[in-house]
Amino acid sequence: MADIIQKKLQTEVEKYQQIQKDLSKCMSARQKLEAQLTENNIVKEELDLLDSQNLVYKLIGPVLVKQDLEEAKGTVGKRLEYINGEIKRYETQMKEMEKRSERHREVLAGLQQEYQKSQGKVPVKV
Amino acid sequence: MTERNTRKNLHPQEVSRLREEQVKVVTGCQDQIQHWKKVQSDYEALQQRLSTLPNKLSYDIMVPFGPLAFMPGKLVHTNEVTVLLGDNWFAKCSAKQASNLVEHRKKHVKNALDDLYKVVKNFEARVGFTEDLEKLSSEKGDFVDIIEEVENEEILTKGKQRTAHKPYSRPKNQDVFDTNFEGGEGDPKATSGILSEEELWARLDELEMQEELLDQKDRMAYSTDANGDDTTSSSSEEEKEHQSDNLPCLHGEEGWPSVTQEDSRLITCQVNGNGQHHSDDEDDEGSCVPTIYFTHTVEPKRVRINTGRNTTLKFSERKEEAKRKRKNSNGNGHSVPGLTKIKTPADLYRLFVDVVNGELVPRKSILKSRSREDSLCSDTSESSDDRRGFCRNLSHDESTHSDTSEGVLQEEENSPSKPLPLPGVFEAFSGTVVEKDPTLPSLIPHLTIVSPALPTIPERKAEEVVLQVQKEPCKRMSKFKAARMQQQI
Repeated sequence: MADIIQKKLQTEVEKYQQIQKDLSKCMSARQKLEAQLTENNIVKEELDLLDSQNLVYKLIGPVLVKQDLEEAKGTVGKRLEYINGEIKRYETQMKEMEKRSERHREVLAGLQQEYQKSQGKVPVKV
Repeated sequence: MTERNTRKNLHPQEVSRLREEQVKVVTGCQDQIQHWKKVQSDYEALQQRLSTLPNKLSYDIMVPFGPLAFMPGKLVHTNEVTVLLGDNWFAKCSAKQASNLVEHRKKHVKNALDDLYKVVKNFEARVGFTEDLEKLSSEKGDFVDIIEEVENEEILTKGKQRTAHKPYSRPKNQDVFDTNFEGGEGDPKATSGILSEEELWARLDELEMQEELLDQKDRMAYSTDANGDDTTSSSSEEEKEHQSDNLPCLHGEEGWPSVTQEDSRLITCQVNGNGQHHSDDEDDEGSCVPTIYFTHTVEPKRVRINTGRNTTLKFSERKEEAKRKRKNSNGNGHSVPGLTKIKTPADLYRLFVDVVNGELVPRKSILKSRSREDSLCSDTSESSDDRRGFCRNLSHDESTHSDTSEGVLQEEENSPSKPLPLPGVFEAFSGTVVEKDPTLPSLIPHLTIVSPALPTIPERKAEEVVLQVQKEPCKRMSKFKAARMQQQI
């Protein structure tokens, strides 16, 4: 009886740990996105400070490719929107994962109690 | 107690752990602050450079050639700067424009720095707090835990006293009844009246006995209280309710006995508490925090009643008791000194006066006064004041100020034939004369003895107590009649 419970407990713990890892991955991805978000915001503002006379280049690989200022602004804007969308997606994903982890936690707690009970019973019996 | 100790023992570890975490946050913030400060200084250097760069058309420099070599070269196009905007975007701009960009970035850096400073400040405050907590939970430190152990839940709850009030509503009705009763003067012994009166008398007797007992206890309690009075916290409100409980007539059954018992208990608790305090202080090694145990004691309260127009009445139970005792020691020989000698309603107004500028000013209704010092007093309407005056041995009147009334009372007390009906005192009206002529001593008291104030009490007592001169065997007479007779005489 106790063994079974123990095995169950172990599997549950593993699942829980897996979920926790996914959660942390999501977290880090989201943080990266947030950094990019701030950066792109700065770029946008600085592009606004420039005038059309300046030449704008984009670094693609080892090459600096000339870009139009307006085009650059548009591109940056789109990138910003994309990043925002990504962030939202990750948000929802994280919430979902949290719920799952919560459920697993409850299951774990129940199993632990059972395990302890069985542990408690066994020495008494013996 | 062990639980408390273990609980206290846990605290230091937890607190130290908390402190560690907070310190970590603070150090992390400090590192970040350092980083951003460096960035800021770099930007400032850059701005400096950008400002001076376009001064010359070209500069002769040593150009780095790989990691190990330099080559002499020229720096040309001094005004053309390619700026990395971020995210793999570059812009070619003049030095001035670059300088603007740098300025713009510096703003961001500044914001980040400010946030970090705020965080550091908050966490430093928290660290300080946890340090205090640590000190608190440790043995040293100036913090003292003050604990009041409420051992007796019965003590002085309002609810209890309110329930005790209910049986006391009867006396008032009785008063009314009596007055109606006395309307039929010639026949005070109406048959139906007799029965109820006898019941009342019996009840009153019981209560009087109880009052006596309680009085003794009270005196004892008062003496002990006087001794151990250091750390009392006067529960004045409770005291007040005590007094309001001690309504004139049919009192004391639940209210007072329990109260005074509680008093004595409380006082002993207080003493114990003091002792405990000492022992706690000595036992400091064992427990983490020195604790002071204190209990509420019922201290004779001082009540200030604002009756408007800058007159306040100070009702101090202590004073009253002191006065009472003084009068006792004066050799009255009466166990119940200081009864209010009130025969008529008019006497009330005479007694409850204020002394304003040396003159007697009839007391204004507290309902009319603008402000009252204590909300406690709000409950004490004049009627309750009266009641208090009547029922307690303490001459409520004595304490409140009017010298004349005091004088009168003293006269009354000194009058030999003072009946002292009840030690217990539920006399709203004792049998003795209040004022006018002290020269008509012997007759009047008798008459008044005969005439029941609360009709029952004096009469019964007249039967039981040996009156010095007893003309008639307890003839019941209405107080009004008696008063009239007095006046006639």
